[in-house]
Amino acid sequence: MRSFEVIDSHVLVIGSGGAGVRAAIEASFSGDTVMVSKTIAGKGGCTTMAEGGYNAVLRETDSCEDHFLDTLKGGAYLNDRELARILVDDAPGRIADLLCWGAVFDVTGDCEVAQRPFGGQRFPRTCYAGDRTGHEMMMTLLDRLASTDVEVFNEIAIIDLLKDGDSVAGAVGLDEKGDIVIFRSDATVLATGGGTRIYDISTNSSSGTGDGFALGYRAGAELIDMEQVQFHPTGAVYPYDARGRLVTEAVRGEGGLLKNIGGERFMERYDPERMELSTRDVVARSIATEILEGRGTKNGGVYLDVTHLPRHQVETRLPVMLEQFLKFGVDIRDEPMEVAPTAHHIMGGIRIRSGGETSVPGLYACGEVTGGVHGANRLGGNALADTQVFGRRAGESAGKARRRSISLDEGQIDLQERRLAAFYAGEVNPATVARSLQTAMWEGAGIFRTGSELEKTLEMINHLSTLNLKAANRCNLIECCTVQNMLTTASLVVRGAILRKESRGAHVRKDVTQAWDASNSPYRHTFLSLCDEGIETGVWE
Amino acid sequence: MKEMTVKVFRFDPETDEKPHFQTYLVRVNDGARVLHALHCIKEEHDPSLSYRYCCASGQCGSCAVKVNGEPVLACMEEATDGMVIEPLDLPIKRDLVVDMEPYLDQIATLVPAEECPLPTQDVVEQIKPLRSCIECLACVSVCPALKVIDFSGPTAMRESLRLALDPRDTGDRVAEAVEDGLFTCTSCQACWKVCPKDIQIPGKAIERLRALANEKGLTLPRHQTVEKLVRETGRSVDRTQETFLEQVTEVLEPYGEVKGTIGFFVGCMYNNRLPRTALDAMEVLRRNGIRVIIPREQVCCGSPLIRTGQIDYVNTLKRRNIDAFVFRGIDTVMTMCAGCGSTLKNDYDCPFRVMDINEVLTKVGIEPPARLELKATYHDPCHLMRGQGIRTQPRELVSQVVDLVEMPAICCGSGGGVRSGVPEEAAALAEDRRIEIEKTGADIVISSCPFCEYHIMEHTDKPVKNITTVLLEGYREKDRRKKEKEC
Repeated sequence: MRSFEVIDSHVLVIGSGGAGVRAAIEASFSGDTVMVSKTIAGKGGCTTMAEGGYNAVLRETDSCEDHFLDTLKGGAYLNDRELARILVDDAPGRIADLLCWGAVFDVTGDCEVAQRPFGGQRFPRTCYAGDRTGHEMMMTLLDRLASTDVEVFNEIAIIDLLKDGDSVAGAVGLDEKGDIVIFRSDATVLATGGGTRIYDISTNSSSGTGDGFALGYRAGAELIDMEQVQFHPTGAVYPYDARGRLVTEAVRGEGGLLKNIGGERFMERYDPERMELSTRDVVARSIATEILEGRGTKNGGVYLDVTHLPRHQVETRLPVMLEQFLKFGVDIRDEPMEVAPTAHHIMGGIRIRSGGETSVPGLYACGEVTGGVHGANRLGGNALADTQVFGRRAGESAGKARRRSISLDEGQIDLQERRLAAFYAGEVNPATVARSLQTAMWEGAGIFRTGSELEKTLEMINHLSTLNLKAANRCNLIECCTVQNMLTTASLVVRGAILRKESRGAHVRKDVTQAWDASNSPYRHTFLSLCDEGIETGVWE
Repeated sequence: MKEMTVKVFRFDPETDEKPHFQTYLVRVNDGARVLHALHCIKEEHDPSLSYRYCCASGQCGSCAVKVNGEPVLACMEEATDGMVIEPLDLPIKRDLVVDMEPYLDQIATLVPAEECPLPTQDVVEQIKPLRSCIECLACVSVCPALKVIDFSGPTAMRESLRLALDPRDTGDRVAEAVEDGLFTCTSCQACWKVCPKDIQIPGKAIERLRALANEKGLTLPRHQTVEKLVRETGRSVDRTQETFLEQVTEVLEPYGEVKGTIGFFVGCMYNNRLPRTALDAMEVLRRNGIRVIIPREQVCCGSPLIRTGQIDYVNTLKRRNIDAFVFRGIDTVMTMCAGCGSTLKNDYDCPFRVMDINEVLTKVGIEPPARLELKATYHDPCHLMRGQGIRTQPRELVSQVVDLVEMPAICCGSGGGVRSGVPEEAAALAEDRRIEIEKTGADIVISSCPFCEYHIMEHTDKPVKNITTVLLEGYREKDRRKKEKEC
């Protein structure tokens, strides 16, 4: 190999959020493990931003069966049954790990982990650390990581996976100076998180650009249900440039009320039984409808009100919300928040088996980059559990992967060099392309969809994909690669949405009338890969 | 949309010999944050601009920068016209990107026990405020101690206390903290004031760790001497001359009409070491119509003990001091020592109002003194500026009597028990202070804290004077000129 820096390891973990770090910890018990982070580990990704909580069955009066049924019902019965079962069964054990490693969750007077109600669940089973649960988990995981031999590479972006024959055998990275770094590994774990930054309004961090979906897809992995994009009901609407910022479901869990401009608790008209604590898809659509039909605020939102709650409760249970809104001039103890839906989570993703194995040998995946666990709509509190449950499983499987001697075809690296060189000769600012994509996706593949709008959006994506992105300097190369990943991810979402000719969970096709409810749907997963795409049929048990 | 001018620090170590500033005209939406202005520059003007950000919602600590000299999170701070954006005062990698990893690596990590007993609700409540840290390193970038001595820094101390409180951790965090520079913190509060999560590291973490160190017998010998002295004499420093309290009567009547009455809390330094300064202050007060009541039984406020973690005797001191003023029915107590003032305001639960002398004088409105032909610079005492939020009042007073030249507000190194406990650090910080004083070209240095005055005096050739002494000189000059006219 030429003069590139080459890093060899048994397991390569790509991504440093909750799933990635958990996978790296687990893999480290089986061999040399390397973790590559696009940011400084612990700062990027969405785990650290996750506010509300972690679902786990911890009380005798609750049961894993109930958690499973809630997850399926919430997921519009599109969940992979085996994966959903694993999620609920393993979640208590994984929170126990975190507690053992020092996580500071809120506890009751009896020194038990405190739990609060979240949407779509029949039992208050969401464990929390105030409204900075994910941050607490991340800090704990990094502590644990520090006690392992995992070698962490910060601020390196993986731009493509490398293959040895049919199997993944490492990855090509770009460091902060734009230099190529080659990683070689027996097993590679994708833990790159989600990608709703393909939308104009999104809760995701800067790294939520769908890199893992694109990397996996290009390496031949199969993805499922990519059309299933969760729009969180409550994102901030002001200031405009910070639109989409997450307003945690914990606000409603603590008793927050949704009201339209007329002061009406409109959820009564959409889901009188569950009201504000209905599932996210239902609440997001209800809010979107209120706004579309002219009952929204001047800033284009509805009110989310906690002013009736005791001030102390707001201060201790929702301190981050209080602080953020105060910074933007709103004291939520005295005034209602203004909120509107925001693209939050991609339920679809790389198809995995129970150990995080993908359809490509040598490639494993865990966390939001995978599909199947959450079906067509994820319950609040199930994503953090997902990161830990499947992070550990993928790390364990990858650790047990067969050791092999790897021969990399240098042509793959030549290809990447040519890809990068082309950026210097490009013409279009990647930021401009990203903006166009985000607007097109929000307008054409948002909460309410039609076949013709989706086709138009796909055309737009295809057009944007033909533009030659320009790198102004070496540091811009990563941005060019990222925008290409966003385009690929968007294309997968839209193609999935075209394939699914039904409304189910978060995916609503206004141009389709259907005679079935979710539990009797004749359709199963949509699937997309380099060689095939379609929708599986058959009613589940 | 609105337009604004933004000045940004630029530096590419590969091509630039030295950093420079570049000014951009950006268009942002109403309510835009600093981060959005940076995005605008990158997207529309200069794609080569480097800065870090991730969550854009104040939760990850990636985007801390200096805006108009103050560390802030770019994603939370509102963008303003004319703002100057610079990297934090940490080693710079490129433009606004600094090298964070060496500092993050200094933060200790939990080493769990075999058994992992969950902390109780009470302990969780104590730990939670410490855990809200997002490791943005704003605190590290402003800490004066770690610039001159081995110190793992404010946020590392914060986490050390958390670990010390957590029953699941097996490390000896208190001993480690002492090794890592626990006693080098001057309690200047700079870290707290820039913390986006408002974590009061000196008061809530460092002093608590020092108290735990005290329980383990790890208090510095020099600090123990101070504690012994307080117990024996009621004062934290020994007397070198006739004390202030010995020189005054309990009530000092003003020269003219009585505009108000206050109790005076003198403090150990002004009582035992700098009584002349306190007497000058009394003259200024009397001249401005203020009756001063000075209870004789007052003792040390306890600050030297609280700052060094020796808290056993503090409640006794508090009770004696509060009783001394309550007994006389005093509703406003004035301090002129920044340390005492900060302690009475922040560590006591006083049944009376506490005001610093600068607050008292600006509130009453002073008789104009004569102008002295002097160029002076003003040193902000940490316990006045940050501990009590008093920044404008001293300037208002000083500029009535001399020409004021500003210098950066940095710690002189005398606080937090550092002067007695880690003298080499105190001297190094005072040297930094001296250099800044030299730069101003001022004839004299004015301050409003006996610790600062005493300490700076030892490290500069310039005269160091208390603000009230300078005011009194202004009055004397005024009287002299008046007399001259009459003759």
